[in-house]
Amino acid sequence: MDWGKVRFFLSEVGNNFTRSIVMQLTAIGTVTIMIVLLGTFLFTQETLGKIGGDIVRQIEISVFLNDKATPADARALTLALRADPQVKTVVYIPKTEGLRQMRELLRGQIDTSLLTINPLPEKLRVQVVDPESVHAVAARIVKKPNVANVEYQRDAVERLLRLSEVMGRIGLGFIVLLVLTAAIIISNTIRLTVYARRREIAIMQLVGASNTYIRLPFICEGFIDGFLGALLALVLLAVGRWQLWPKLLSALPFIPLHDAGIDLRLFALQLLGVGAAVGIVASWISVGRYLRT
Amino acid sequence: MISLRGVTLIYPNGTRALDGVDLEIAKGSFVFLVGHSGTGKSSLLRLLYREQLPSSGEVVVDNIRVDKLKRSRVPALRRNVGVVFQDFKLLAERTVWENVAFALQVTGARTRDVMRQVPRVLDLVGLAHKSRVFPNELSGGEQQRTAIARALVNNPKILLCDEPSGNLDPVNTNEIMDLLHRINLKGTTVVIATHNALVVDRMRRRVIRLEHGKILADEERGFYHVTTTEAGAIDAAAGSATRVNNGLGQSTLFSE
Repeated sequence: MDWGKVRFFLSEVGNNFTRSIVMQLTAIGTVTIMIVLLGTFLFTQETLGKIGGDIVRQIEISVFLNDKATPADARALTLALRADPQVKTVVYIPKTEGLRQMRELLRGQIDTSLLTINPLPEKLRVQVVDPESVHAVAARIVKKPNVANVEYQRDAVERLLRLSEVMGRIGLGFIVLLVLTAAIIISNTIRLTVYARRREIAIMQLVGASNTYIRLPFICEGFIDGFLGALLALVLLAVGRWQLWPKLLSALPFIPLHDAGIDLRLFALQLLGVGAAVGIVASWISVGRYLRT
Repeated sequence: MISLRGVTLIYPNGTRALDGVDLEIAKGSFVFLVGHSGTGKSSLLRLLYREQLPSSGEVVVDNIRVDKLKRSRVPALRRNVGVVFQDFKLLAERTVWENVAFALQVTGARTRDVMRQVPRVLDLVGLAHKSRVFPNELSGGEQQRTAIARALVNNPKILLCDEPSGNLDPVNTNEIMDLLHRINLKGTTVVIATHNALVVDRMRRRVIRLEHGKILADEERGFYHVTTTEAGAIDAAAGSATRVNNGLGQSTLFSE
C-alpha cells in the first residue's frame, strides 16, 4: 500500500470539498431533505400497507345455504371449498350455532326467549389466501349447489385495493421527483467544483492523467455529499422514530398503527444506499460532460 | 520521431490553419518553428500532443499514429510529450515542488518515484533551492523553469514549447534557451514555436518557417529572418502581406 498516493488522493478530494463548501452544504442539505421525505413516505406507506393488509386479511366471505340444504350438504361444501387452493380457511357454522351466536349478540337488547324458531340458514365463513382473489372466489362459490347467497365487504375491499394502488403510484412519482431534485443539485455542485478546478484538470490532461483518475475525486465528492446527507437524514428519522412515533401511537389509539415487521436496520441501509448512489451518479454525469468537451 | 504527411487542419469557422504540411523531425533534434501569429505554429504543436485532430493527413509521434489514436490512449501519448507554454500554466496555490510533483502524482506514480524524480528535475532547471516557494513569488524565468521541470518530470522523449520566452526579458530568455539546449543534449527532442528572432539567430539550429499554414522554408542551421527569395514566395502565398526592408539587406514581414 502506497500511503503517499492515498494521502495525495484524499487531499485532492478534501481540496474539492472545501473549495466550494457552501455549495457542498447545500447539496448535503438537499439530500437530507430528500431522504427524510423519502424515509417518512416509505415508512408511512409500509405502515398503511400493513394496516390495509390486516383489514383486507380479516375480510371474509359469508356463504348462506338455501333452506333445503342439510348439515351434510354444508359439510360436503366445506370439504369442497377447502380443496380450493385460493381458499385459506372454511368454518362451518350450523344454523343452531348461528342462533346461539345471535342470542349472545342480542342478549339484554331484546327478549331472546321470543326467538322460538330458527330463521337462520346454514352458513360457512370463508377466508381467501390472496385478498385480491376475493371476488373470483365469491363468484365461484355462488355457483355451487345449495348456495343461496354470498356476502362480503365488496366495496371496502375494492376501495382498499384501489387506494393502495393509487398511493403506490403517487409515491413512485413523488420519489422520482425527489431523487431528480437531489441529483440536479449535486450535479450542479460538482459542476461548480469542476469549474473551480478547471486549471488543474487542464494540466492533468496535459501531463497524461487518465480520465478515470481525473474523475475519481469528483465521484468521491458526490458520494460524500450523498452519504453525509443520507446519514444526517437517518439521524433525524431516528429521532422521529423514537420520540414522535410513540406520541403518534398514543394520540391515534383507534388506528391500529404498528411498525412490527419493518426491518429498520435494512431500511436505514437502503436509504444510505439511495443517498450515496444519487451522489455518485450525479457527479459521474457532470464530470463526464466536462471531460467530453 | 515526428512525422507529418499531407496534414491539413481547418477549424470549424473555416480558417485553414495548416495546409498540406509534410514534415520529418528526427530523434534528438532541436527545431524552431517560426512565422507570424496565425501561421499555424501553435496548431501544429497541438496536433503533436493530440489537443487537436487534423482534418486530413497523417500525424506520427514516436511511432504512434496520433490522428488515429483512441481517446483512451491519449494519456499514454502525453506522458511521452512534455509541453511548455508562454503563460507557464502553473497552479498558484501549490509550491514549486508540488507543481512539479503534481504531474507525476496524477499519472499514478509511486511516492518513491515522486521523491526521486522531483528533486532531480528541480536540480536540472536550477530551482532546487526554491522548491517550497509559490509561483507568484518567482520571477518569470523561474516560473518558466518550473513549467519546464513539470514537463520533464515524466521523462518525455519530446518537449514541445509554445512561445516559451514570450513573457520573458532577454536575460531570462537566454537562460531558458540554455536550459532547453542542455535538455536536448540529454537526448530529448525539442520543438520550439517562437517569434523571438534573437534566440533563433543566436542558436543557429534547424528553422522551419510557416506561412499561411504551409512550410515555406526548412533550413538546417537557419536564421529567423527570411531571405529575399523566400520573401518573394511569401508574397506569392500571402498576396497582400506587407513586406519591409529590415535594414540588413534582408526582407522581413511585419509582425504585430
